[in-house]
Amino acid sequence: MSKNALVILLVVACALLPLVLQLLGQRQVYWLFVVSELFILAIVAVSLDLLMGRSGQISLGHSGFVALGAYSSAILNERFGVDLFVGALAGGSLAALASLVLGFPATRLRGHYLGIVTLGFGIAVDQIALKWDALTGGDQGIHLHKPVLLGLDVATPVRMYYVALVALVVVVLLVWRLTGTRVGRAFAAIKDSEVAAAAMGVPVARTKVLAFICSAFLAGIAGGIYAFLAGFVAPEDFGIDSSLLYFAMVIIGGMGSIPGAIGGAVVVDAVKNAAATVSGLSLAILGGMIVLVVLFFPGGLKALLRRHPAARTSVAERRSVAVAQDA
Amino acid sequence: MLEAHHVTVRFGGLVAVSDLDLVVPDRGVFALVGPNGAGKTTLINALSRVCPVAEGTIRLDGTDILGLLPHQAVRAGIARSFQRAELFPTLTVLENLLVGLHAQMTTGLEGALMTPATRAEEKAARSRAERLLRELDLWELRNASPADLPYGHQKLLDVARALISEPKLLLLDEPFAGLTDAESPRLLACIAAAGKRCAVLMIEHHFELLEGIAERMTVMNFGRKIAEGTPAQVRADPEVVRCYLGTGRAKVAEAATC
Amino acid sequence: MTLYLLQICLAGLAQGSLFALAALGLVVIFNASTVVNFAHGAMGMAATYVAYVLITSFQVPFALAFAGAIVAAFVLGVVVQKFLLGRLQGAPVLTQIVVTLGLFMFLEGILGLAFGYNPRPMAAPITMGPVTLGGLVLRPQDVVQLGVLLVLCVALAALFGATKVGLGMRAITENPYAARLMGIPVGRVLAMAWGIGVLLAAVAAMLAAPTTSITPNMMDTIVVYAFVAAILGGFGSLIGALIGGLVLGVVVNLIAAFLAPELAMSIVFGLLLLVLYVKPDGLFGRAMVQKV
Repeated sequence: MSKNALVILLVVACALLPLVLQLLGQRQVYWLFVVSELFILAIVAVSLDLLMGRSGQISLGHSGFVALGAYSSAILNERFGVDLFVGALAGGSLAALASLVLGFPATRLRGHYLGIVTLGFGIAVDQIALKWDALTGGDQGIHLHKPVLLGLDVATPVRMYYVALVALVVVVLLVWRLTGTRVGRAFAAIKDSEVAAAAMGVPVARTKVLAFICSAFLAGIAGGIYAFLAGFVAPEDFGIDSSLLYFAMVIIGGMGSIPGAIGGAVVVDAVKNAAATVSGLSLAILGGMIVLVVLFFPGGLKALLRRHPAARTSVAERRSVAVAQDA
Repeated sequence: MLEAHHVTVRFGGLVAVSDLDLVVPDRGVFALVGPNGAGKTTLINALSRVCPVAEGTIRLDGTDILGLLPHQAVRAGIARSFQRAELFPTLTVLENLLVGLHAQMTTGLEGALMTPATRAEEKAARSRAERLLRELDLWELRNASPADLPYGHQKLLDVARALISEPKLLLLDEPFAGLTDAESPRLLACIAAAGKRCAVLMIEHHFELLEGIAERMTVMNFGRKIAEGTPAQVRADPEVVRCYLGTGRAKVAEAATC
Repeated sequence: MTLYLLQICLAGLAQGSLFALAALGLVVIFNASTVVNFAHGAMGMAATYVAYVLITSFQVPFALAFAGAIVAAFVLGVVVQKFLLGRLQGAPVLTQIVVTLGLFMFLEGILGLAFGYNPRPMAAPITMGPVTLGGLVLRPQDVVQLGVLLVLCVALAALFGATKVGLGMRAITENPYAARLMGIPVGRVLAMAWGIGVLLAAVAAMLAAPTTSITPNMMDTIVVYAFVAAILGGFGSLIGALIGGLVLGVVVNLIAAFLAPELAMSIVFGLLLLVLYVKPDGLFGRAMVQKV
């Protein structure tokens, strides 16, 4: 079966899920929420993969962008009754703007410095959200009104499910298209060899910032939609634990691959939900998986599914992880 | 035509290139030779604006290029290859070539929307890349990852990536290094063909290779130009013989006194 | 007012000594292996649980438990270097960051599983009360922290300056290939560096334990500040890490006293961005150049 046919089948299957759940009569509301949340996590994973996997830049504070998106939606909705479309776009835009703050460190700082700075960004957003309670409601959070999308009432779990699904499909299409054109190739070029990229005319610094902007925008949109899905945002939804979760999704799924990112989101979300009652278990499992992936499965899930004829060869992946480079 | 006068490149206290004059005409293959550490790669880096020039002027077709940033060099008509190929393993062979056209394309983020303009630009770029790949007999490998190619093909691809932008000046840094005798002829033909379309300045050690293809050579040692001329002239130059080519057993001892 | 300020500075220095200890450990590891150990705090934290178990389950006296913790930390560092990082020699920076982050998550998770997230108390064996000296209140805990820092700094200076192992570490930093050719047992030296580095993290954790109590995330705040301190110091300079840590401790306490304690970390990162804008390699750092 061709790759495209497989994808279409998957989307159709997802579209039919609410029907299936209804037929089975099983806790429809719960499962629809869980899968909707998964779709949103997948958007975040795709956004982080665009930055880390495709452009080779590290972000350990991606929850900061998601939080900015979520809070934008929540605040605008609570005070001005803004709808989901506007809220999500506003969230994405604010996150994109904030990413400019990380723009200069991204262009000037090497790997681990950038990692620490992005970590700080994630922490800062979390702390400010907690402290600035006049705007954000502090630890009490913000409750949103019933979600509306472009005049349509989408307040039911089934409708929000489709909103999340459509959003994921649109994001995937956009990112996939982008990677097949000039800008997407430039992202990969600066990751593989900055000096060669510059020799080809790629403005390296500007491209790094552009990668951050794109990634932050998508993460912000995800956050914006999430706010309406959950109906409530609070600082505890974000912060370093979330950032590490997103990080795990991209690593376990395999870097530089959209299906990998989505697969990683599925695995991480499954582990998180299954192990939710036992504190520390999901962290231990995910941490262990990351270490195992790095040591033994450098391409992540994506590489394990290499048997699919449409997938890339494994040698390139192994080389890209293990190749000797000057620090 | 490239005109470099009194070019000096310094790294802290070390003078890598010293008061060097170089003129490269519009077409033809020209060689830059010299022992390791002579400053050849540094000069290429200076010409492609990767490193700063402390003194001197460099003009391409009359325009001063010293003010250019590294990523602006290709737009000015200067393209280069690298000693270690520096390919993009994440991308396919075809996509590697398409990056070479980055400066000549304009699609930005709107590429995500696949607008008609984007589609047209991609199509035009891909047909250009196809033409070049077929010329170099690499078309079959267009979807492979560069990391999977034999080394000879990688070096060829590196040169192709620089060629695709149809530069005025093509800078090649040891393109034949690491190539087997079987792999060299293809690259040689490629470079010779390029020399008919633009100026090629090539760093190379293999004198035998160069004699067949380069019309003029510049010899460097310790950052300075020590000789210049046709391969035959340069081979006969006593300074070059003393420092670089040697006369058998005396080679090592004499080289130490250069 | 000045007395109040001095009091805050003193508290800052005491807290800064913890940042400095952890930062020193980070820099020792980085200097030898060019890896930023994102699991640093977690590894130190793991050592405190060893001490906790020794004290509560085996009735081991504090001093011995402390020793046990730092030995455990040393061993952990060696093991992680040999079996984890050792396999990734030459891998890109991102890979090493990923693996240490994975290790961080794993350690926090495993210890959370084993001991739960309820804080476990660790009593400091200090029976003396605070001493007042010229208006300043000196808590014995603070003095001990600064004292330990001083002693360990002297020890590190002696190690790097005078012993074969220390010199070996410096050689490896400069040129690992040449070091190997000169007969320096690179593998052993790397393991030593990691052992010492994690040991320093454990010391910081043990000193912090009486105040923070032992939880899986007790070191999270300290290690974040340790990163900042190391960066300020140029992530290569031990003296930079020392000064960075102490200065940062004072800065954090000043922010907490005069601005808002909950925003201390955010403000610190803002300041870090400013510093890096002016000096992208940190205050004492050396630029790393890539050769083409």
